[in-house]
Amino acid sequence: MPATTENNNQGSFLGRISIRRNQVMSMDGSHDQEMEDLELFQKHIGDRFSELLSSTSEDSSSSSSSSSSGDALLSIAWLRRLLDEFLCCEAEFKAVVLMGRDPSQITKPPLDKLLPDLLDRGVKSLDVCNAVTLGLDAVKNLQRLAEIAVAALEQTPLGDGQVRRAKKALSALVAAMLNDDSNAAAKGTERTRSFGRRAGNTNATKYKSLSWSMAKNWSAAKQIHAMMSNLTAPRGAESSGLAQPMYMMSTVLVFVMWTLVAAVPCQERNGLGTHFPLPRQLGWAQPMIGLQEKIAEEWKKKEKKGNVGLLEEMQRMDKLGQSLIEFADSFQFPTETERMDEVKKHVEELGDICKKMEEGLEPLQQQIREVFHRVVRSRTEFLLALDQAAKSTTPAL
Amino acid sequence: MSHSHRAEDKYFFAHTQRNFTQQNSLSFSHFLIMESLPLETAEKIILRWDSTASEDARDKMIFSGGVDRDEADLYLQAVDEIQRSLSSVSVSSSDKVNSAIQIAMARLEDEFRNILISHTIPFDPSTSEDDPSQTLPDLLPSSTSSPKHPLTNLEQDSTETEPETTNTTTTTTPLLRFNSDGAASSVHSSVSSVNSVNSSSYRSTSSIREIDLIPSDAVYDLRCIAERMLSSGYLRECIQVYGSVRKSSVDASFRKLHIEKLSIGDVQRLEWEQLENKIRRWIKAAKVCVRTLFASEKKLCEQIFDGVGTSIDDACFMETVKGPAIQLFNFAEAISISRRSPEKLFKILDLHDALTDLMPDIDVVFDSKSSESIRVQAAEILSRLGEAARGILSEFENAVLKEPSRVPVPGGTIHPLTRYVMNYISLISDYKVTLNELIVSKPSTGSRYSGDVGIPDMDLSEYEEKTPLDVHLIWIIVILQFNLDGKSKHYRDASLAHLFIMNNVHYIVQKVRGSSELREMIGDDYLKKLTGKFRQAATRYQRETWVKVLYYLRDEGLHASGGFSSGVSKSALRDRFKTFNSMFEEVHRTQAVWLIPDSQLREELRISISEKLIPAYRSFLGRFRSYIESGRHPENYIKYSVEDLEYAVLDFFEGIPVSQHLRRRSE
Repeated sequence: MPATTENNNQGSFLGRISIRRNQVMSMDGSHDQEMEDLELFQKHIGDRFSELLSSTSEDSSSSSSSSSSGDALLSIAWLRRLLDEFLCCEAEFKAVVLMGRDPSQITKPPLDKLLPDLLDRGVKSLDVCNAVTLGLDAVKNLQRLAEIAVAALEQTPLGDGQVRRAKKALSALVAAMLNDDSNAAAKGTERTRSFGRRAGNTNATKYKSLSWSMAKNWSAAKQIHAMMSNLTAPRGAESSGLAQPMYMMSTVLVFVMWTLVAAVPCQERNGLGTHFPLPRQLGWAQPMIGLQEKIAEEWKKKEKKGNVGLLEEMQRMDKLGQSLIEFADSFQFPTETERMDEVKKHVEELGDICKKMEEGLEPLQQQIREVFHRVVRSRTEFLLALDQAAKSTTPAL
Repeated sequence: MSHSHRAEDKYFFAHTQRNFTQQNSLSFSHFLIMESLPLETAEKIILRWDSTASEDARDKMIFSGGVDRDEADLYLQAVDEIQRSLSSVSVSSSDKVNSAIQIAMARLEDEFRNILISHTIPFDPSTSEDDPSQTLPDLLPSSTSSPKHPLTNLEQDSTETEPETTNTTTTTTPLLRFNSDGAASSVHSSVSSVNSVNSSSYRSTSSIREIDLIPSDAVYDLRCIAERMLSSGYLRECIQVYGSVRKSSVDASFRKLHIEKLSIGDVQRLEWEQLENKIRRWIKAAKVCVRTLFASEKKLCEQIFDGVGTSIDDACFMETVKGPAIQLFNFAEAISISRRSPEKLFKILDLHDALTDLMPDIDVVFDSKSSESIRVQAAEILSRLGEAARGILSEFENAVLKEPSRVPVPGGTIHPLTRYVMNYISLISDYKVTLNELIVSKPSTGSRYSGDVGIPDMDLSEYEEKTPLDVHLIWIIVILQFNLDGKSKHYRDASLAHLFIMNNVHYIVQKVRGSSELREMIGDDYLKKLTGKFRQAATRYQRETWVKVLYYLRDEGLHASGGFSSGVSKSALRDRFKTFNSMFEEVHRTQAVWLIPDSQLREELRISISEKLIPAYRSFLGRFRSYIESGRHPENYIKYSVEDLEYAVLDFFEGIPVSQHLRRRSE
């Protein structure tokens, strides 16, 4: 489970830091030490993501009971693990690059350019965090619509009124998930008289209003693209120095943010792209490439529907919603028991998803907030180090 | 709980209003309300209003002016009847009843939405300025003599005469009138203040100022519907509708308050000057948001949902304001993590102060478990702003230490850095209260053992009784002087270097003396040191310039072949006069251009120069004048009288080049 792996990993790298700190760092000796640190950092990043990759369960549609094989790709639990890994990488990154180091080292080329780039990516990721948090609020809304449907369809015997009630909620649910930014704006006015639009429309506008707290022209897709710019692997002599962990951390940050935007409804996801360049030649990036391919595959399957996010629970909700709407459309009393059993199964599954969301969304949001804090804190620490470096190079008077 | 107490009041108001109307229109439906409704009639009523079934039902609303008000009560009665029968009837007949309930609930959901939308009183930011003292006293009976809005007056008179009888028709009738008129919202909010003053006093001392977002009769209707939706298991629909309508209303209020949606990236990109304006506006808007807008939303939730079910009011409140609250705080958050630089300190402190002020209100408005994240975020931003302020102070110290300009200020006057730093620290002293809370550690100063030549020494043990902030101010002055000492070395003329130090340290002393806050913080001990320092610089200047000049007015070396009595060497004497003259002329020419901006200091230094120069010259002249005057061309050697020099000294340190030569008395 995520918590335990995190602890283990944390333990191992914290141990390493204390070793490093106990050393008397001579100028020559520290070089070997540094090489070793960097290699370990690379290895850990590779390990973390390969563990995530290997424990990602293949089949998403019926994974509710088969949790032993791992979490489904892009499910709430999986995203939480991803963020756990991110937080660990981030902590280790700081240990390698910042702790116990003479601050002047991070001001020397090529870090004088790479570090500001990373810090800039950090600031950009803060907006992504906020957008994703808002997006998860939108998912909570979907959850409530699904809960209404579940509550209605759970009734026995199932009457006409409850089916209509469920259909209304489900139509809103499905419409919300189909919604993209362009057509939602057109429907944006809420009128006083709400009759004649029993289903769908009302909630479409509601859905739009959920991403409303981001700045007007803010686009998650553009933000991710901006984070990707200037992201190139260090070459030649640079690849053995601190440029390497800078690049790795940037890549991990971009990957995690890209994944979040792919999964969660966000303002303007159009044009996000199913891929972004990852260094194929570097070992530590392989598991991330593997994950990216899986996500891209998922994307291709779903993209024609123009949906709002690949979150596994949402996808399943969508499917179940469609099939239950179908059922509602043809509902007649009495329904044959075979059909009823199937509906019952679907309702149960929908109920399970709601429960998962109820349990998982809040902690996921908290974790995103933790990522936010961490990025801010690191940024502050790096700026402080830059500050100190500047201080120590006071022009001789 | 005065919250619920007040909600009860409203409830009671509305109730009496309705009874009042009913008494005037004794109708068939009224009769039905008194009696219990037969199930069949109830079903008929529900079906009559099934909007999927008839055109008429689709076009009319039950809870609106268009239809007889009693119809609404009848409808509610019918729903109650159906619900009651659901729990008692046998399974076989329940299907029909069940269907009726679904129809009724769909209907009520639409009615609920319609009431919310059509009765929303537009939020007017001007009625909610954040100073309660301006309006509240007007509403208190003690201030009846002051001119008032006629409607307020009316309202007040009625409360004065019958403070406890708010349930009488005389008081509720005008209330009703105001309520149904959205334009009179300001009056209406005053009315609600009267009520709160009467019913509970603690609100009047709080800075929270709620207004009524929806008139109380509509609130009553909403509450009636909410109760029924909840009891039929339609709570989620209710919350959904409530949240979506109220959120767009809050959105509209945000636009009125000019609260912008800026991403963190946007804020980092904007020029600081633009941000300063935005911070100013944000502070105002945030106060209105927390104390009026959010507080009123919370009150509305309580009025409608309090007692209807467990923490439904909280759920609805968060549904409405979570997004807006995050948006609001996002700006402050973006500022708190922006890059630190000295010019940002004071606006960040303003923001910190404003948020500190708001914290108790935030804690009240967001007191529930579900709104914990908002509370936590506000606290986090506050602590980050504090951290930013600390960071900026250290950044500032660093900048003062490193300020790199090397070009000497002409005339040795006050360096722009000195002015800047002193203005900065006097602003710091204006923010003393806040900063004393934030700055809790003393500066990391250099010490004589650190061996770092880039940082000045400062012995912290001398300032043990001072607050950390005080020590920081002293430290800033120390590093300012350290930097100025460095700059003084770029003057070629050592005298000018001393004059420069004298001027600048004197300026520092004047600045500190000029502000009682600053003086207290820096303390007299350190002020004495500073005074000593500029006096020393003055002395050094005089030594540097005048020892050389006065050297030529000494007796030694003028007497031929040693013996004192053996007479004076005329040629040596002539040389002395000539050299003295030319040296003095040179000093006069250069130092007239030098500048001491402080007139008193300038005067003092001139006096001090004169006190040394004039007696020496007078006595030299007295002793040796006769030797020169007895020879040829005495005017070539004794060019200046004592008075000439006295006048000449007055040209010093004016910063103006002297065009002509020294004036002579003879001219």
